[in-house]
Amino acid sequence: MRALRSRWKLIPLAGAVIVAAAAVAATATARNSASPIRIAVLSDCQGAFGSFDNQDMAGVVTAMVQYAGAKAKNPNKPRDGWVGGQINGHPLKLVGIGCSNDRADTAIKETKRLMEQLKADIMIGPLSGDESIAVANYAKQHPTKTFVDGAAGAQDTTLKVRAKNFFRFNGDGAQWNAGLGDLAYNKLGWKTAAVVADDYSFAWTSAAGFVAEFCAVGGKVTKRVFPPLNTTDYSSYAQQMPTNVDGTFVAVGGAGLIPFLKAYEQAHGPIDGKKFIGNLFWGTPGQFEQLSSRVAGAYVGGAGTAGDLATPAAQAYNKMVGKVFKQIPPFGAAAPQASSTFTFGYYVNTWGLLAGLKGVKGDISGGQKKLQAAIGKVKLRTPYGPVHLDKNRQAVIPVYYQQLYLKNGKLAVKTVGYIPGVDQSFGGTFTSKTPPPGRNFPACVKRNLPWIGHTQVPKVTG
Amino acid sequence: MSRVTPDRVVGVAALVLAVLAPLYLSSYWVGTLLTQMLFLGIVAASLIFLSAYGGMVSLGQVAIYGIAGFVVGNVTTNGNTKGLNLGWNPWWGVVLGLAIAVAAALLFGALASRSVGIYFLMITLTYSVIANLTFGQVTDVSGFGGISGIPAPKHIGPVDAHSNRLYYVALGVALAVYILLRYISRTPFGLTLQGLRDDPVRMSSLGYNVMLHRTIAFAFAGFVAGVGGVLFVWWNGHIDPASIDLSATIDVLVIAVVGGLYRIEGAWVGALFFVVINNYSQQISFIGPRFHTLIGAIFLVIVLVSPGGLVGLWDRAVALSPFRRRGPTDRNPIEAGQVEPSV
Repeated sequence: MRALRSRWKLIPLAGAVIVAAAAVAATATARNSASPIRIAVLSDCQGAFGSFDNQDMAGVVTAMVQYAGAKAKNPNKPRDGWVGGQINGHPLKLVGIGCSNDRADTAIKETKRLMEQLKADIMIGPLSGDESIAVANYAKQHPTKTFVDGAAGAQDTTLKVRAKNFFRFNGDGAQWNAGLGDLAYNKLGWKTAAVVADDYSFAWTSAAGFVAEFCAVGGKVTKRVFPPLNTTDYSSYAQQMPTNVDGTFVAVGGAGLIPFLKAYEQAHGPIDGKKFIGNLFWGTPGQFEQLSSRVAGAYVGGAGTAGDLATPAAQAYNKMVGKVFKQIPPFGAAAPQASSTFTFGYYVNTWGLLAGLKGVKGDISGGQKKLQAAIGKVKLRTPYGPVHLDKNRQAVIPVYYQQLYLKNGKLAVKTVGYIPGVDQSFGGTFTSKTPPPGRNFPACVKRNLPWIGHTQVPKVTG
Repeated sequence: MSRVTPDRVVGVAALVLAVLAPLYLSSYWVGTLLTQMLFLGIVAASLIFLSAYGGMVSLGQVAIYGIAGFVVGNVTTNGNTKGLNLGWNPWWGVVLGLAIAVAAALLFGALASRSVGIYFLMITLTYSVIANLTFGQVTDVSGFGGISGIPAPKHIGPVDAHSNRLYYVALGVALAVYILLRYISRTPFGLTLQGLRDDPVRMSSLGYNVMLHRTIAFAFAGFVAGVGGVLFVWWNGHIDPASIDLSATIDVLVIAVVGGLYRIEGAWVGALFFVVINNYSQQISFIGPRFHTLIGAIFLVIVLVSPGGLVGLWDRAVALSPFRRRGPTDRNPIEAGQVEPSV
């Protein structure tokens, strides 16, 4: 009887133990479900594209606000990042923002700092071509981490390096220029053209898109000039540009574009806009406003963006960026910068990442294999059209090209051409076996491209 | 029997701490910061050797370090879109990289050996510019984007998975370089070099071939810088022209001056200081990307306060302590008034 009584006495003690164990288990479960996902962003705050640093971060933060419930820390300074934001209870913690300068060496150092010192699980970035090739190579050595591109458009990054944990939801430089060769030959009547491009991977890719298509329809590229990136005095390169051609394709970007055009005018006289086609930098918000009105009439290759597209989705995206940020320094009001290559590139890549994270309910365990598989299957209905990834984790994108014109005496951009579903192979021109775009590749040869003669005219505002 | 001095005690303690570092420091500190400190220290040591014993402040060491790195990158990678992609065994890459680095240093040294002071500085600066532009323009061996995916030898790499291995290799190589430089400085060649530093006219009249000695010293320092370049590409897995641009050249000079341009040990002291400041200053919001402004200010303060660098400060502290050295020969040449600071 005494033994029975003493057993009764144990019941409250056992109950307490069970409650305590349940509490510990609940805490552990809660901690597990709330484990933060550590995210880093690699941007360029210096170098040729340093002035677009805040556009990069504006894209990331807008996607975080829109798809993960985050809040911009400072509506006038995107570089301050975000607060809040979660996927299925997992907080999205911004551990650091890398500051690169368009050089692969710096990008690698910053990536190491972000991934190894600050222990990021996932990195968004980088911005430019050779940086992305180096980061994709780094990603190959770190299969348990996940990388999504920022706005870099070198072809090798996904077509040649093919890291299984590196994803790119933006196009490459060649994809972005689909339609321009057809336009130059068949609409503008160019039979011969010269090409000037920065001497690095992105600009080689950008020029490759124009050369491949222009030659495909029968044009001849008679001269290719490649000034080094970050050149400040372009006079010797401008002198090399021939004037006995029907037109010139310019893929000099970032801080180099305006000095190049000035040097060209000094060498050959005032520019006739109709004899020029530029790559995306000629239409990038924040940059094209600084060009002379003399370039009005020039056509511009896009970056899979069209800020004036008259669709509810495109207009809603502009409004969203304008709602999250008032200003994107140093260029001013935020909404007009929504369609910038950099804002949209970082936005769409961050969105693709968040869609993948939602697909696995924020679970990044198991060396992030489930997450990486989920990101590979993501299909986005972006403001500018549908985007999905190919087998190399490279986006198949809608492409738009624009034209510069004068609106109330000021230079403005309107979208005039649209080609849906352009993939990285560029109609079979580029494969993993072909040489990478460079000073001499692609060669100027005729070939069939599926979109020749099928460019559509999109409905635009204004 | 060797006398116990504060220098030796600190040196042995530093070595013990370095050997045990993986036990008490994070893998980032060991694999990234300390390994970087070791190979940057090796390059800076080659500069300090030339400066302290030969009176030659060279800005060409980074060019030679880059030549070794680019050769290794070109001959050991395979399947890349850039470079020669020869796919050689990494050890053969080391042999060829060092051989070409030494050959280039011999040529550079021969051309610069007639000049002194600011002229020597300018000629060697030109070497750095030439190397940077050449690798930037010649896309067959590099181009702007450089060479990625450079492998370390099988027993050392993959570096990201086994960062301690490369750290210990770098530590061993740094120790060997230090001992070798100390040894060379005490050989007849080293003593002759010091004589040439102090009075080349007198040495010439005594029958020494001044230019030949300077050229050989430059080639030897080139070998040491080349070793640093090999460790760099193993550590980074990537090299491009930005790795050897003017900024990198100035960085090595800053490391040497901040550490102490007159003692070999200063190279690693300066490298540790530089690497840590570079890494952590970026996390301070008001500094951020303005690292070079910060290191420039520190450089100015150190040059003004202690021309002998951080090691010079240590020398002063020891001189004021009860453990001060007795012999004048061990003293920092600046502190002893034997040498005028030239930078």
